[in-house]
Amino acid sequence: MVRLALPQPYEDLGHTADVGVRVRGASAEEALGRLALAFSTLVTGGERTVVPLREERLDVAGGPGLAGSAVAFLRELLFRLVTAREVATEIEVHAADARCVVATVAFGRHDPERHAEGADVKAVTWHAARLEREGDGWVAQIILDI
Amino acid sequence: MNLRRIEGDLWEIPREGRMKVPGRVYSVGPPAPDDPALQQVANVAHLPGILRFSLAMPDIHWGYGFPIGGVAAVDAEHGAVSPGGVGYDINCGVRVVTTRLEEEVVRASLHAVTAQLYRDIPTGVGASAAIPRVSDAELDEVLSQGARWAVRRGFAAASDDAERCEEGGRLPAADPSAVSARARLRGSDQLGTLGSGNHFLEVDRVAEVYDEAAAEAFGLVPGTIALQIHSGSRGLGYQVCDEALAALAPRLADYGEDYAALPDRQLACAPICSDEGRGYLGAMQAAANFAFANRQMMTGLAVRALLHTLRVSERDLGARLLYDVCHNVAKHEEHEVDGARRRVLVHRKGATRAFGPGDPRVPTPYRDVGQPVLIPGDMGRYSYVLAGTARAMRDTFGSSCHGAGRLLSRGEALRRGRGRSIARELADRGIEVISRGKKTLAEEMSEAYKDVAQVVAVMHGAGISRLVARLEPMGVIKG
Repeated sequence: MVRLALPQPYEDLGHTADVGVRVRGASAEEALGRLALAFSTLVTGGERTVVPLREERLDVAGGPGLAGSAVAFLRELLFRLVTAREVATEIEVHAADARCVVATVAFGRHDPERHAEGADVKAVTWHAARLEREGDGWVAQIILDI
Repeated sequence: MNLRRIEGDLWEIPREGRMKVPGRVYSVGPPAPDDPALQQVANVAHLPGILRFSLAMPDIHWGYGFPIGGVAAVDAEHGAVSPGGVGYDINCGVRVVTTRLEEEVVRASLHAVTAQLYRDIPTGVGASAAIPRVSDAELDEVLSQGARWAVRRGFAAASDDAERCEEGGRLPAADPSAVSARARLRGSDQLGTLGSGNHFLEVDRVAEVYDEAAAEAFGLVPGTIALQIHSGSRGLGYQVCDEALAALAPRLADYGEDYAALPDRQLACAPICSDEGRGYLGAMQAAANFAFANRQMMTGLAVRALLHTLRVSERDLGARLLYDVCHNVAKHEEHEVDGARRRVLVHRKGATRAFGPGDPRVPTPYRDVGQPVLIPGDMGRYSYVLAGTARAMRDTFGSSCHGAGRLLSRGEALRRGRGRSIARELADRGIEVISRGKKTLAEEMSEAYKDVAQVVAVMHGAGISRLVARLEPMGVIKG
């Protein structure tokens, strides 16, 4: 397990109307952690650091499949963003399987003025969602409705 | 993808495999067989209970599950309801408010007018607080009363605004109790806010009239000013759709083989008569009412902004809601299917209802000419007002296109916008634009969109809706 922090580069999938994000990691947990931070990068307009203000252990029911767990975890982060204006700034994914995701997340403040160039993500879609082995590592990708 | 031309701009995807009906696609030029949106048209044809055709309008582009620009009518008792067939932004829609103001009067104060609209109507990422967060009890009223709630609160161009909305601005089978606490939390401080992305509020001039009788009925006079508002159900609608997809996707096999065999997870659906289907329909209609109320509130705010900035009387302003149409919704309607009247559930995702002359569901002032069909374009060119036709009732379950459709990805638009000032370019053409984020202007630049004139020309040529007037933007606010 590894604790990851912003900034998080990602591969832009070049979706026509929305935004697709792809990252890679040595394990499912690392790839998912990087995907979550890529989400933060996207919604903050490329912010390199956001001061962590509090930490929470999240246990999110997921599935079906690993990709379903990735969708469920990002849906939870999106809900925190749009209702509490919190973004994940550091993250350690303890476990990610086809049933749930367990992670410790440090949240910082999303500032609508400072982060005005960030994407207004409205939904985490199931389309082309991936959390799977590829070659020697793992790949995680998601398409976000904005 | 196998395609054959039926006539003019209408093409068919023949039924094959587990498709229950053929696909029918209206297209600007011959469709590209490798367009992934066409595969989605074929996928939708697998929906249980689908009737006649899986339809696509000429602004078709790739969406989640259903294509944007897709229309599917299913049997109201034995068919399936699909959250993906409505879309995330439930009842995203558009309305036009006509005025008596002459273009020159507003042109002289254009910056002040646009700036006041921008101040009064919250825009952009997470926009909120046009009014204080509503209580749960009041939110129930919003979710059941729709535009009528906002009119009662004084947010209106005139007291009969709700009657000038599709469905009277209220879907009566809405079930507020089916809207989750999370969806309520996302929406309760967002009433009267525009949002971001392709949502906008425009000050338009009526540039040209093509059908004088219909334009007169619609109150569209060349050289006068109209407001156009494009927005939806904000976070509340997204949460309703998101939760429905998450709940239905793992359950498809429970509903039978047709459901388990659906070719795309985002086509997740449930039998209309199942508990899950009824629950989604109740929540979706409540979210649609939230969207009606949201656009109605912005109408009131915009009218007040004009009165304040231009210092004119309500009489001289003469604001009247022309119409309000839904672009993303599923509704129970009666249509003729194979010679018999049937109750069906029509999914319109990125499509506009376009009922023809004489239909009792069209408001009385428009019944002789057909329902107003409002088609926004992009912020640098034009939008169109059309009228519904009898042909649409026969061929498309009374449906037409909804807009231009994106041509460029947001990333590509940003690349093309690098080093340019889109606001300056628009200003040079007499269009004042104010946006919360600079990036939005590049993402939403005209060249990122198809030319909506080509899209409406296909609908006009096919007799699905009739050109009435062209609107051109003068002032634009964006998120």
